[in-house]
Amino acid sequence: MNSLDVMALMPLIILTAGCVLVLLAGAVRPGGYLYWSAMVVVVAALLWSVAVPIETVMPGLAVTRFSRTCSAFLYGTGLVALLLAAGYTRRRGIVGEEYPATLLFGLVGMGVVCAASDLLMLFLGLEAFTFAFYILVAVERDSGRGGEAGLKYLLNGTLSAAVMGMGMALVYVASGTLKLAELASAARTPDTLLLAGLALILLGLAFKLSLVPAHLWTADVYQGAPAPVTALLSTASKGAAVVAFLLLFPLLGGWRGFHDLLWLLALLTLLSGNLAALAQTSIKRMLAWSSIGQMGYVALAFVALPAGGGRAALFYTVAYAAAGLASFGAVTVLSENSDRDDLEEYRGLGYKNPLAGAALALAMFSLAGIPPAAGFMAKFGVFAAALRGGETVLALAGVLMALVAVFFYLRVVVVLYMKPADVLTAAERPLSLPEQLALVIPMLAMLALGVYPSPLLDLLEGLLR
Amino acid sequence: MSGLPILSILVFLPLAGCLLLLPVRKRPALARPLVLGVALGELALTIWLYASWQALALRKSLLPGYLLAEDAAWIPDFGIRYTLGLDGVSLLMVMLTALTFCTALLVSWNSIQEKCCLFLCLMLVMETGIMGVFLSLDLALFYLFWEVMLIPMFFLIGIWGHGRRLYSTVKFFLFTLAGSLLMLLAIIGLHLLHAGQTGVATFSLPELLHTQMLPATQLWLFAAFLLAFAIKFPLFPLHTWLPDAHTDAPTAGSVILAGLLLKTGSYGLIRFGYPLFPQAAQQLTPLLYTLAVTGIIYASLVAFAQEDMKRLIAYSSIGHMGFVAIGIATWQPVALSGAIIQMANHGVTTGALFCLVGMLDERAHTREIRAFGGLWGKIPVWSFFFLLFSVTSMGVPGLNSFVGEFLILVGTMKQSPLVVGLAFIGVILPLIYMARLVQETLFQQERQPLTLVDLNLREIILLSVLLLLDIWVGVHPAPLLDLIHLPVQLLTGGAP
Repeated sequence: MNSLDVMALMPLIILTAGCVLVLLAGAVRPGGYLYWSAMVVVVAALLWSVAVPIETVMPGLAVTRFSRTCSAFLYGTGLVALLLAAGYTRRRGIVGEEYPATLLFGLVGMGVVCAASDLLMLFLGLEAFTFAFYILVAVERDSGRGGEAGLKYLLNGTLSAAVMGMGMALVYVASGTLKLAELASAARTPDTLLLAGLALILLGLAFKLSLVPAHLWTADVYQGAPAPVTALLSTASKGAAVVAFLLLFPLLGGWRGFHDLLWLLALLTLLSGNLAALAQTSIKRMLAWSSIGQMGYVALAFVALPAGGGRAALFYTVAYAAAGLASFGAVTVLSENSDRDDLEEYRGLGYKNPLAGAALALAMFSLAGIPPAAGFMAKFGVFAAALRGGETVLALAGVLMALVAVFFYLRVVVVLYMKPADVLTAAERPLSLPEQLALVIPMLAMLALGVYPSPLLDLLEGLLR
Repeated sequence: MSGLPILSILVFLPLAGCLLLLPVRKRPALARPLVLGVALGELALTIWLYASWQALALRKSLLPGYLLAEDAAWIPDFGIRYTLGLDGVSLLMVMLTALTFCTALLVSWNSIQEKCCLFLCLMLVMETGIMGVFLSLDLALFYLFWEVMLIPMFFLIGIWGHGRRLYSTVKFFLFTLAGSLLMLLAIIGLHLLHAGQTGVATFSLPELLHTQMLPATQLWLFAAFLLAFAIKFPLFPLHTWLPDAHTDAPTAGSVILAGLLLKTGSYGLIRFGYPLFPQAAQQLTPLLYTLAVTGIIYASLVAFAQEDMKRLIAYSSIGHMGFVAIGIATWQPVALSGAIIQMANHGVTTGALFCLVGMLDERAHTREIRAFGGLWGKIPVWSFFFLLFSVTSMGVPGLNSFVGEFLILVGTMKQSPLVVGLAFIGVILPLIYMARLVQETLFQQERQPLTLVDLNLREIILLSVLLLLDIWVGVHPAPLLDLIHLPVQLLTGGAP
């Protein structure tokens, strides 16, 4: 490891060191300043990833433009989640250093995923951030729902980790290597063992992306976890899994069966996510099912990956992350001592708390794919890729489900703006500056990407070439 | 003024008006005149364009066949360009848009008190959306504006509407979106087809016009476009959202729905549907005829049974738009001119009728036909205007609706006398139900003792302008026919 490698790995080093320091500082003197320190650490890692264009290849890790950009995006979502969490944890009495420190640790895992060049590192990265989420989901120790969600996530997560680990073992047995580049050439002439291993890895990733049939944990965990954790879980964790999928994709090209498998996953995910969301009355459960449906569109882009679906999937992930952060962010800032969970509790909030209401409404329009929000451009890209790849049936299913989805997304807007507020509820708390920032950043991202997506599209095109 | 991007100004001036609104958002008394000023500015701009269209026609334009055009790269990764173009047809529609927004603002001057600035802001956003729809020549850009204009209307009905407003507004949104999403797929499909043939990834209408398609492909793509436009039109049996939306919308919303949103459907068919897929369109002409004629007769019969004045006018709208559909389906210069003139006529006349009902509703707090009677003696000025606009809506010669319907029927006669014969029933039926409406409300004995105040100066000026327009087009339609002559010839493929 030479100095160049150290420079290239600096974001990961910053995050790791920051994580340890926050943990130590918290033991000496707990307090809100730990969140600010964690934010400084994340900003430093983010800036370094963006600004220092060093690219090196090390055993297990390859820092490339792709990895730098993807990890910068994930650090950005982590930053917004920290901004949200600072006030939320104070209101809820979640004291201590474990929240910011664990979040930093999770970001390290995501950074490793983006740079992974062999299966082992990929597994470590994926499981590192999932491990962080095991803790974060259950961080509110007094909440019964949080504990239940934590246990559910833990059991399902370890199962999926076991499945993925088994898959990697089979791949290793079949090909004798863990390096992604060597595996890609080996996978061109696949044998049964290798295919079985790859299928198991795919199943493990399907859990992280909550693709049907590995989705059942999603609604309970999203509902039970603290809202700012859900904000991160539904965006960064999925983003990292999308990146992992793109890294693994060269391995899947050798067998037509993977296309059919993904095709089926995409269809099932589109259908069940959107249809189940229709029946929800809790906003967090609705958003959870909707996020499953949204991942269906990413899976649709995966199916059309040879026809330019990679860019569509990444763009969709970014657009979805902005909407996810805004919507769960709005839920976060609107929750006081208990979560505002029932959709009906949001009556008239669009006027009482204009910024949070606007963020939630814009996120709904974006998720529904209505211009000028980013979600429209994202769906446009996915449909274009799908049709170019000849996936007309899936594209039609996607369009029909987008229509179904509009119904439940609009319901939120209707409640926010068109139903009278309860007279009894107290005046809303004014938002603090970090909360305002955490809502405004994703809102601006949604609008900017919806009106002028070219720069990001160009960037992604360059990354995937 | 040739250096200015006039079309972009036309589209984005209202949106810029939203920014002006920010500092005065707490003071409706200032915000209203400000927004009206923006709307009047738009109107002045369109009138200036109309006054100088002949001069513009002599100049060489960026796109042949268009008076003005603008083109810029926007999203090269998807092949989407920012292309706006103005020809006679879109100029007429743009004028109608600017006029209708002034009407809508003036008619809701006092009736919208709650959340006034949000209302004004939504109106401006909607004007941007609708202007964009009428001016876009890039299919993706068109689609973008097409959806953008839905959102303000969704809020307009949902926040300021009456009755079952939530049901109606969601229904309106879902219906419209159902068609549009399939159209989006068709647009992308057409784009890919074109890219496959020529290697040029584009959504530009002039280029896509040259795409070669197999008949079956063309039929599928056209069907998707037709569905989207037919829902907006609305053609029978896709019309069920319209009576609900109209009835529950605030007056300004009804005026814009009837005056403009329905026109975007027919405009889309004229600008995109027929020119892009001529063979498929020809194949489906019988279907379009059938739906249009069924719609005309069905809507007129249903109109008989209505007790709510707004609902009655909403159904009459479906009938009138059926004529427009016939004119487009014939796709022949005379009938098409008639259809386009009829679009403008219907926008002005029905808009005025919705204004009148809205004004009455403001005073009497009911729109039940049975609640009224003897209004002629009580509020003579209102009754005068109501009578005249009802007569216009019946299609009496000398007033504007006659011109449109006459041209449509004359143009269609050669192609399909049967359709004309059936549509003629649709000319008679409105005579009867409108006469009933007028008779019941204006001349019957008073049924409920209502104390009503007659129209004020603002309302009288507004209605007089609309009435003068109706009479002007009815007596002397030649200038408008001149305006759309060249584009109609180009569209129908004849020599200019």
